[in-house]
Amino acid sequence: MNLFEFCYGIIHWLVDLINHLWYWLGDVLPWWFGDFFDAVGNFAASQGHMAVMTIFLEVVIVVVIALINVLNFIWIFRKFMGRMFDFYGPYYVGYRIGGWLQNLADGIKLFVKEIIVPAKADKMGYLLAPIIYIGSSILILATIPFSENFGVATNESGSYVPAGALFALAAFAIAPFSILLAGWASNNKYTLIGGMRSAAQMMSYEIPLLMTVASVFLLAGSYGFVDIVDAQHDIWFAFPLFIGFLIFLVCLAAEVEIIPFDLPEAEAELVEGWTTEYGGMRFGLFYFTTTIRSYAGGALATALFLGGWHGPALIPDEIWFLIKAYIVYTIFQWMTWSLPRVRVDQMLGIGWKRLLPLAVINLMIAVALKSMGWF
Amino acid sequence: MAERGRSDQKEDMEKAPSRIDAVPEEKLIRALMNAFPEAITGFTKLKEGFVRAKLDRREIAKACKYLRDELGFEHLSMISAVEYDDRFEIVYHITSYQNKLLLELITRTPKDDPSVDSVSSIWGGANWQERESYDLMGIMFNGHPNLERILLPKDYTFHPLRKDFKG
Amino acid sequence: MWINMGPQHPMTHGLWNLRVKVDGETIVDAQPEVGYLHRGIEKLCEGKTYPQIIPLADRLCYGSSLTWSHLYCMAVEDLMNVEVPERAEYIRVLTIEMQRIVSHLMWLAAYAGDLGLGVGFVYTMREREVFLDLFQALTGARITYNFPRIGGVAHDLPPNFERDTLRAISYFEGRLKEYEDLFEGSKIFMMRNVGVGILKKEDAINMGVTGPTLRASGVSYDLRKDRPYSVYEEMNFNVVTHKDCDCYARYRVRMDEMWESCQIMKQALKKMPKGKVRIVSPRNAPVGTGLARVEDPRGEGMMYIVGDGTDKPYRVKIRSPIFVTVSAAPKILIGYKVADVVAIMGGLDMCIGETDR
Repeated sequence: MNLFEFCYGIIHWLVDLINHLWYWLGDVLPWWFGDFFDAVGNFAASQGHMAVMTIFLEVVIVVVIALINVLNFIWIFRKFMGRMFDFYGPYYVGYRIGGWLQNLADGIKLFVKEIIVPAKADKMGYLLAPIIYIGSSILILATIPFSENFGVATNESGSYVPAGALFALAAFAIAPFSILLAGWASNNKYTLIGGMRSAAQMMSYEIPLLMTVASVFLLAGSYGFVDIVDAQHDIWFAFPLFIGFLIFLVCLAAEVEIIPFDLPEAEAELVEGWTTEYGGMRFGLFYFTTTIRSYAGGALATALFLGGWHGPALIPDEIWFLIKAYIVYTIFQWMTWSLPRVRVDQMLGIGWKRLLPLAVINLMIAVALKSMGWF
Repeated sequence: MAERGRSDQKEDMEKAPSRIDAVPEEKLIRALMNAFPEAITGFTKLKEGFVRAKLDRREIAKACKYLRDELGFEHLSMISAVEYDDRFEIVYHITSYQNKLLLELITRTPKDDPSVDSVSSIWGGANWQERESYDLMGIMFNGHPNLERILLPKDYTFHPLRKDFKG
Repeated sequence: MWINMGPQHPMTHGLWNLRVKVDGETIVDAQPEVGYLHRGIEKLCEGKTYPQIIPLADRLCYGSSLTWSHLYCMAVEDLMNVEVPERAEYIRVLTIEMQRIVSHLMWLAAYAGDLGLGVGFVYTMREREVFLDLFQALTGARITYNFPRIGGVAHDLPPNFERDTLRAISYFEGRLKEYEDLFEGSKIFMMRNVGVGILKKEDAINMGVTGPTLRASGVSYDLRKDRPYSVYEEMNFNVVTHKDCDCYARYRVRMDEMWESCQIMKQALKKMPKGKVRIVSPRNAPVGTGLARVEDPRGEGMMYIVGDGTDKPYRVKIRSPIFVTVSAAPKILIGYKVADVVAIMGGLDMCIGETDR
C-alpha cells in the first residue's frame, strides 16, 4: 500500500464527510443557492480535485518528515562537532534526550530577534533572495522518495515520477543565483566578495557533479528515482563507479558549502560572508537551509549510489534509506572538522583541473560497462 | 609533502667580504675615531660587546651609512627620545649580527629645535620608530617619507611624553 | 579598491586595521594602522615607583606577559647594579621558557582557527591549560603574573612543582608530535602555507624584523645564544632556523622552538641550586641609564630606562618587536591574494598590546 493510496483514502474520507454538509445545504436552500452548493459538492468529489488534494497531502507528509530529519541532522552536527572538539555539545536543554531540544530553543531565540533591513540595501533583492534560496531547497525535499511506496506520486502506481532525479538536481542548482543576489543586495563589500566566491564555487562544482550523475543515469537507463534504485538490486553503483562516488561526495561538499569548501562564509576573512547582513529568523532559515541541502545531498547520494532503500528485510525500507543518508552526513561532518579551509584559487583549481577530467574518465567507465551489457 | 623533522640547526651566516673581521670593541672605536674624528666622541665600553658614543647631530646620515655599509651594522634596534631640562637626546641602538656588537649613539638637539636627519632610508626598520618619536615626543625627522602620527589620533595637537604635558 | 580589514574583525587578533588595496583578488598595496590600543604606558611609568611598574609591564603583551616584566626587572637591575641570586635566575629561565611555550600555543591556536581548522584551535588551547595550571600553582594567576621582582623573583617554587612540571613536559612532547601530524599531514594546510608570504633575508634584516620571522628567513640570530642573559650560557639548546622564507617556515620554526623550550626547562630544573630567591634592591635609582634585551617569543624586546636619583624612573622606552615587524607587512603581502592575508598576518603572530603600548 503506497503513499498515494494512503493519502487518497484519507482525502476520500474527508471529502465524503464534508460533502454531507454541501449536499444537505443544497437540499435545504431554495433556488440557485441550492444548485450552487450541489455543484460545490460535485466538484469536491470529482476525480481531478481529489487527485490534487492527494498530492498536496503527500507533499506535506514527505516534507514534514524530511524536515524532522533535518532537525535531527542539526543535532548530530552539533553533538559530533562537540565530541570532536573534546566537549559535550548540546547538553542541558532536553537533558535526558541528549540535548535534542536545543534546536527548538535556538529557533525560538531567533524568532524573537529584531529583523533589520539595511538602509542602503536593494530592498527587492534583499527580500527576494532568501525566498528563492529556501523555496528551491525545500522543493528538492519533496521530490526524493523514501522508498518505492513512500514518495510523492501522481497515480496509484507508486512513486514513479519519470524525471525525478533530474528535477531534484535542477532545483539544487537554483541556489547560486539567490546567493549572488543576496551578496549584491546587501550593499557591503564583504558580502559582495562572499557572493562572488560562492557563485564561482558552485558553478565550477556543478559540472563534475552533473557528469557523475549522468554516468549513473546511463547505467540505470532512466531519470527517475525508482528506476535508478531498482537498477542497483544486484550491486550498488558505488562499487563500479567508485571514482564517480568520490567525486560526487567532494562536489556535494562544495555545493553545500561546508569546510573545507566554505570560503563564501569564511569567518576569519569575511565574517559570515554573504549572510552577514541578515538577522533574526532570516538568518536562522539560511542556516537551516544549509542543513536541508546537506540532507538533500545525502539523500541523493544514497539513492544514486548506495542502493537507495535496499537492505535486509528486517527493517522497513524507509528506515534503511534514512540510515544510509545519516551515514553519508556523518562522513561529511568527519571531513569538515578534520580539514582546514581551501583558498579560493586553489578551490577553483581542484574543481576544474582535477575533478573534471576524473568525471570524464568516470563517464567513460560507465559507457564501457553499459556497452558490455552488465547493467 | 614537505620535509618533516627538525629544522636546520644553527647556520653560519656568510661573513661579508672586506669587512673588519670579528671586531672587538677597541677596533670598532678605532675605526669610528678614524672615520669621524670630530663627530663621534666620548667612547665608553659599558659591557662586553656594548659600546656607547656621542654623535654630532649634523653627521647622523653619513655616520649611519658608514656603519651599515663599512662596519656591518645591519640592524637598527631602537630609536629613543629623552627630554631633559635643556636638551633633547635621541639614542640610537644599532646591532651588528655578524660581529655581535651593540652600539649606542647619543645625539643632542637644542630644546627649541628638536630635529635630526632621518635614517629610514638606510634602515627600513627606522620608519615607524621615527614616526613614534615624532608622535609622542615631537622630534622632527628631516627627510622622512611619511612623518605622520602613528599611535595617537591624527588630529591630536599635543606631544604627550614631553614633561610639560600633565595629562 | 581599498578594503579595511579591521578594526573589528575576527581575524585580527587584537585591535588594528589593515588597509589593503586589491585588484580583483590580488593585493597591490597594504597599509597597517595601529594605535587603537595605545594606553600611554611609557608616560604612566614616569609617575610610579620602580616596583609598582612590574604589573604594568605585564600588561604590555598579555600573550607573553612574563617576558616583559622580566625584561623590565633586568633593565632596572642594570640601572641599579643589582646582582640577582643564582636560584632566582634559574627560576626566571624556567618560567620564561614555559611562557614561550604558552605564547606559541596561543599563536598556534589562533593560526589553526583562522585557517579553518577548528579542531586545531581547541586542542592547542587544551594543552595550554596544562601550563596555565602550572603557572597558577606558581604565581596565582593565569595570564598576567606579577612574578619577577627587582633583585629576583617573588617567591620560591611551591612543593611538588618539579614533579608536576616534568610530567607536563613529557605529556606535551607527545602531543607536539601529534600536532605535527595533524597539521603537516593535511595537504590543504601545506597548500595554504608553502610558498606564501616570502620575506627575503635582506629585507628582513633591513626592516628590523626579529624573532621567529627572521629565523624563518635563514638568519640565525637568537639573543639567548648570541648575547646570553640570565643563565642561558649554561643551557644547551639549538637555535632553530629554516631556509624557506614562507609561512610554513615560520610555523616550523615555532613548533621546533617549543620543543627546544621543553629541553631548556628540563635542564633548568636539573641544574637549579639552592639558595635565596630574592635580595632587597635599593629604593632610589642612581642617575644613569639601564638597558636590557630579551628574546621575546615574538622577537627582540628592549627596554631603556633613564634614572634620575629618585624612586621613580625619568624615562622608560620600550621596544616592541611586533611594532617593527608590522611595518614590514607591506613587503610580505604585496602580490598575494586576499585569502592569504590570514595566513601571512597570522604567521607574524601579532600581539597588539605590545605594539601600541
